Amino acid sequence: MSITPLRPRIAPNSPDGPPVRLVTPGVQESIGMLDDSARFRALVLPYIDEAYRLARWLTANGTDAEDVVQDASLRAFRGIRNYAGGNPRAWLLSIVRNTAYSWLRKNRPAAIVSVDDLEAVELERATFDESRDDTPEASLIARVDAERLRKAIADLPAPFRETLVLRDIEGLDYREIAEATEVPIGTVMSRLARARRRLTETLMTTRQ
Amino acid sequence: MGQRGDHPFVIPEKKMSRSKSDDNSVLLVHAHLDGELDPANALSIAQQMRQEPALAAEAERVKELQKLIHERLPREAAPPGLRARIESSVSGTRRGPGNPSWRTLAASVALAAVIASGSTWFVVDFRHQPAQVAELLVSSHIRSLMAPQPVDVLSSDRHTVKPWFNGRISKSPRVIDLTKDDFRLIGGRVDVVGSVPVSTLVYRRTKHLISLTAVPAEDAPAFSGPQNIDGYNIVRWTENGVSYWAISDVEPKDLELFAQLFRTSQNEL
Repeated sequence: MSITPLRPRIAPNSPDGPPVRLVTPGVQESIGMLDDSARFRALVLPYIDEAYRLARWLTANGTDAEDVVQDASLRAFRGIRNYAGGNPRAWLLSIVRNTAYSWLRKNRPAAIVSVDDLEAVELERATFDESRDDTPEASLIARVDAERLRKAIADLPAPFRETLVLRDIEGLDYREIAEATEVPIGTVMSRLARARRRLTETLMTTRQ
Repeated sequence: MGQRGDHPFVIPEKKMSRSKSDDNSVLLVHAHLDGELDPANALSIAQQMRQEPALAAEAERVKELQKLIHERLPREAAPPGLRARIESSVSGTRRGPGNPSWRTLAASVALAAVIASGSTWFVVDFRHQPAQVAELLVSSHIRSLMAPQPVDVLSSDRHTVKPWFNGRISKSPRVIDLTKDDFRLIGGRVDVVGSVPVSTLVYRRTKHLISLTAVPAEDAPAFSGPQNIDGYNIVRWTENGVSYWAISDVEPKDLELFAQLFRTSQNEL
């Protein structure tokens, strides 16, 4: 996919962005001064909520999500010396994601490669050829209740689900999602569009 | 068997309708709504959306979906004990040497503030220190003028700017269209005041930029006339628990006019 129209990134902490917001000179030096657990407190602990929510969406279970986050935090701690800077939230979330998938492979092998996921990857290459002018009005989904919405998201194939959750629930930008899910930005874009379409369709068609 | 719709010379209907809104445009509509496009592409996709109902409908569906998610699925915090368990499991794994020096401690506090806020490391209780907030916001304004562009989302469309703040700060700001009064909205960015991310809208008046920052505050004074810091004028007022700070190098009377218009305008999203 040849899409490069994205706005230039000027987020505060990005290395290629202008040093606009960092009032502090020497943040990088301060990181060097810290011992591992101080680094951990600074880089990981602020994002435990996000980590937990992502794990919960991926494992579909609160207790499992706690285990995953705890395991992921340990991995993050062991890897903290290699943390090269950049976005700590995306970094932690990518560890959570990988931990969640290994956990699923081990404990729920059936969940990990479902037919639906294969179909999802297949579809990803397909085109948006159903430009359906006959789709119901968007406002129809406004009355959907929380439970149905939650279930519809939970039923999305994992690659779509994680992308949608990171964008529309957690508010990450495309670059952070690309980093967290370890795919190119073009893939983030197509997964997101597809996830939203599927979700909208499900919500419009399934009536309880 | 071969005499079906997939005959090589019959163009399937679907393919034909596809040229209307090809895949790329669909993705760009999504990226546009997510505030990810650069200005030129944002402009061109906005135009395309006006011409192609399928794209406009797609945009409507996305917005409706985002609104639904935003309203129905509040982000829950991690269970209470989790953070503590993580901390103790980590400190049991490998312990740093002895007591940390004050330098390390200071650095860690500062770093935590920087990381948590994504930005400055001033720890200011802004409700009680308006002067410091003013200085912080003036520096943000100056830094934004030195940056390649003064905003993180560049758009004159308040319907684009407002949703861009969703997920970046907890409360979307009031965004008002003052184009007819010659204050043109050019975009928005997130600034940080005392580790709290806040929304800043940027308006243009002739060649001057106005940064308008909304800071949540309960007990700030209602309105104060223009002040001046480092040559920048500041006008501040509070409404509905939000304290607004307008900062610019335009004439004080223009800035006051701006504040007046912003407070009284009905052109809200």
